[in-house]
Amino acid sequence: MKKTRLVLIYVLLAAFLVACGSSGTGSSSGKVTVYVGFQEDHAVAAMEQFTEDTGIEVDMIRMSAGEILAKVRAEKDNPQADIWYGGPADTFVQAVEEGLLQSYHSPEAEKIDPRFKDEDGYWTGIYVGALGFASNKDFLDQHGLEAPTKWEDLLHPAFENEIVMAHPGSSGTAYTILYTVLKVFGGEDAGFDYLHKLHPQVQQYTTSGSAPGRMVGMGEAAVGLLFAHDIIKYQEEGFDSLILTIPEDGTGYETGAVAIIDGAPQSELAQKFIDWSLGTSAQEVGQRTGSYQNLTNPDAKEPEKAVRLEDINTIEYDPAEAGSQRSRLIDKWDNEVNN
Amino acid sequence: MGRVKPIQELKRLAREPLLLTCIILVMASLFVFIVYPLFQIGRTSFFSVDGSFSVAAYKRILSGGNLLTALTNSLVLAFIVSILSTIIAYIFAYTIAYINVPLKKLFNGIAILPVISPPFVIALSAILLFGRQGFISNHLLGLQNANIYGLNGLILVQTLTYFPIAFLVLAGLLRSISPALEEASENLGASKLKTFISVTLPLSTPGIANAYLLVFIQSLADFGNPMTIGGNYTTVAREIYLQAVGSYDMQAGASLAMLLLTITMVVYAIQKFWVGKRSYVTVTGKPTSGRKLIDSGWLKHMMFGICFSLSVTVILFYILVPIGSFIQLWGINNSFTLDHYKYVFNLGQKAIVDTFTLSLIATPIAGLLGMIIAFLIVRKNFIGKKTMELVSMLSIAIPGTVLGIAYILSFNKAPLALTGTAVIIIAAFVVRAVPVGIRSGIASLQQIDPSIEEASTNLGANQSQTFFGIVLPLIKPAFFSGLVYSFVKSMTAMSAVIFLISARYNLITASILSQVESGRIGVASAYCTILIIIMIISLLILNGMLRLFGGEYDKKTKKTTNNPAGQKPLSM
Repeated sequence: MKKTRLVLIYVLLAAFLVACGSSGTGSSSGKVTVYVGFQEDHAVAAMEQFTEDTGIEVDMIRMSAGEILAKVRAEKDNPQADIWYGGPADTFVQAVEEGLLQSYHSPEAEKIDPRFKDEDGYWTGIYVGALGFASNKDFLDQHGLEAPTKWEDLLHPAFENEIVMAHPGSSGTAYTILYTVLKVFGGEDAGFDYLHKLHPQVQQYTTSGSAPGRMVGMGEAAVGLLFAHDIIKYQEEGFDSLILTIPEDGTGYETGAVAIIDGAPQSELAQKFIDWSLGTSAQEVGQRTGSYQNLTNPDAKEPEKAVRLEDINTIEYDPAEAGSQRSRLIDKWDNEVNN
Repeated sequence: MGRVKPIQELKRLAREPLLLTCIILVMASLFVFIVYPLFQIGRTSFFSVDGSFSVAAYKRILSGGNLLTALTNSLVLAFIVSILSTIIAYIFAYTIAYINVPLKKLFNGIAILPVISPPFVIALSAILLFGRQGFISNHLLGLQNANIYGLNGLILVQTLTYFPIAFLVLAGLLRSISPALEEASENLGASKLKTFISVTLPLSTPGIANAYLLVFIQSLADFGNPMTIGGNYTTVAREIYLQAVGSYDMQAGASLAMLLLTITMVVYAIQKFWVGKRSYVTVTGKPTSGRKLIDSGWLKHMMFGICFSLSVTVILFYILVPIGSFIQLWGINNSFTLDHYKYVFNLGQKAIVDTFTLSLIATPIAGLLGMIIAFLIVRKNFIGKKTMELVSMLSIAIPGTVLGIAYILSFNKAPLALTGTAVIIIAAFVVRAVPVGIRSGIASLQQIDPSIEEASTNLGANQSQTFFGIVLPLIKPAFFSGLVYSFVKSMTAMSAVIFLISARYNLITASILSQVESGRIGVASAYCTILIIIMIISLLILNGMLRLFGGEYDKKTKKTTNNPAGQKPLSM
């Protein structure tokens, strides 16, 4: 008994020392640490490509954009990561306003359309993706309906309690939807009027922006509101009953961005990462894992299946304005609509 | 208590340097990892971003609206779920301890099964079984508009998720109730029912109260299930997350958390008062074997029937997970595939290794700490004992989401710059797991007459020898259930650590959540299956250790029973 006890104590001590040791010697040099905002398979493929192209090792973790912002904000005084890679630029704009990002004008960014980058170099767009409607074919057939092509179509009585979208608070996608509706209806009052009417149609506000696609694909709901490239990804994965339509009366789009976190422990490597992420090699990774966004680098090969912004009716989506209004609009929506 | 007492206490403590060190260490850890983060959250709730004092967030919550709804929704849900869970757990525990039924091992395993799985797996299975395209709702019952999202779904899923927690508490307790009293009651002519009502049930009230309390708070703080299946039935933990992460309104999130904390503290106080009035010293040092099991009659058949059908339900929920991990796309394309496992082994290796290592480090710390704190609380008198008890139990009332944010707020600056390290995750694991160990440790210790330890001390053993040689072996079931719970809880932890994971330490549950969110049920199921396999193997090893220690324990108790000191009559 005595021996076992001693052994137990030593094991505990050792465990504690190991834990402390690993924390002390943690800041390993030569590794860049990345918070990734897009889907995991895409993220892992991208990081492997980065290490292959540059020889630099990566530690990465995938979170949704809201979570990354919360984490970066919480770690403000002791930054743990170097790069924020992916997620709607609106969230990045809010981070810039709070002084969480570091400016860097990458030589690679010169090619990129000014619409898709911050003029002060705090963030740079890496992909663009438009919003779409995902409808369940079986549901439409059963009810003799056509897939919705206008925002007003979603108010059809048959869709009562049959629509899914994410919660704008947690999801960048859903905030893009909210902001888009205000633009499409030509103002905040008219937009919120529509959102009030949409609310009883909505079965559920999910946390994740892409979840509505799965729910519609599985027949849990009739129509989901999410990014077209996410809908295509679900179709590719075998959800055959999904139909993709783009609202003809105007749709919004996200600019997926990349940025250096202020106080990044490895700021030199971080700059190399930004240069790489804007190049063709990085931008072409997505289509190999079924992520069909439009690319911001004009030299990169666009995925064939991507919905091209030129072909659809897009609204003027200004990430800077969308980002600065974000907190206020979400609060307003939460208090007035989601009650 | 006179004035002289504390001084005597101090003198006595000074003679026991080990005990003193132990108390100081425990107090310090409790302060750093529970009190201080809570203080930070409290501070955040009362100060707006610009640093000025403000109660605006509380006003906003209490003036109605969706935040208040979330709070009342959670209370309704927790009330229902904890009643159902406690009843089911008691039926299981009673059947296993008192009735001679077949398939006991199965029931035992089934009751523990839901605890070794990340909560949202049950939620996912519920969707697959009872959703629009659900196997039961659509294919068997032909329902068109089944709606599993919302209160009903949450009740189902949370009951299945949390009744094992109640079971772990109740099973340990019922097993350690001495049959002597019940035999006495029956010998005096009482019927089985009368014996149950006036002997067994009162003896198990502390366990029932503990089980109810644990489930109530777990349900209130649940994050995974409402995220998956809550629909528009908003609950408080999810709302805290959405406020803190989504709207970036830390103040509202923290205020909501403070209200939640107050509620759980009140519940805890009521339970404590109610339980505290009962006396339940029934055990000497004797092994509690030799209960005459109920072997016939309607009771046996009824209990067997209930346990059996519940077990089948649970199996149904779990069978979907491994099956789902081999199916291309559930309900849409049902062909066999190994792709999901390829995905996990390509992408998820690091998360698996990290989760396993960190849990393995946290388990003994949490297990031993739980028993030490329980021992200190039940058997020792020292200044600050009440505080220690309150604080250590308080941690169960902190919703995981809030604990996570609180840790980031608290441990981001020197001298406690722990964010991004393993220590912060291990600390969260331990803090989240230790209350259950303490609870079962206290429940066990309260049933053991202190005279055995006094005998050990009188025979010249020091505190440490008494604790490791006498106390720990006596409360071994509680210790091991504490270990098992810590391990399982750590492996499946999500709500608190979702904020603490870093690029250097990732966890399986975070990967699963991310897969669930993006709708890859197959990959999520593969992760879960691997997680469950790792846990089953580890639990088997733990069980082996239990047997090993159990052997020593039996020899010891035989010696003790031969020793006149061990045969001290019951003092009631």
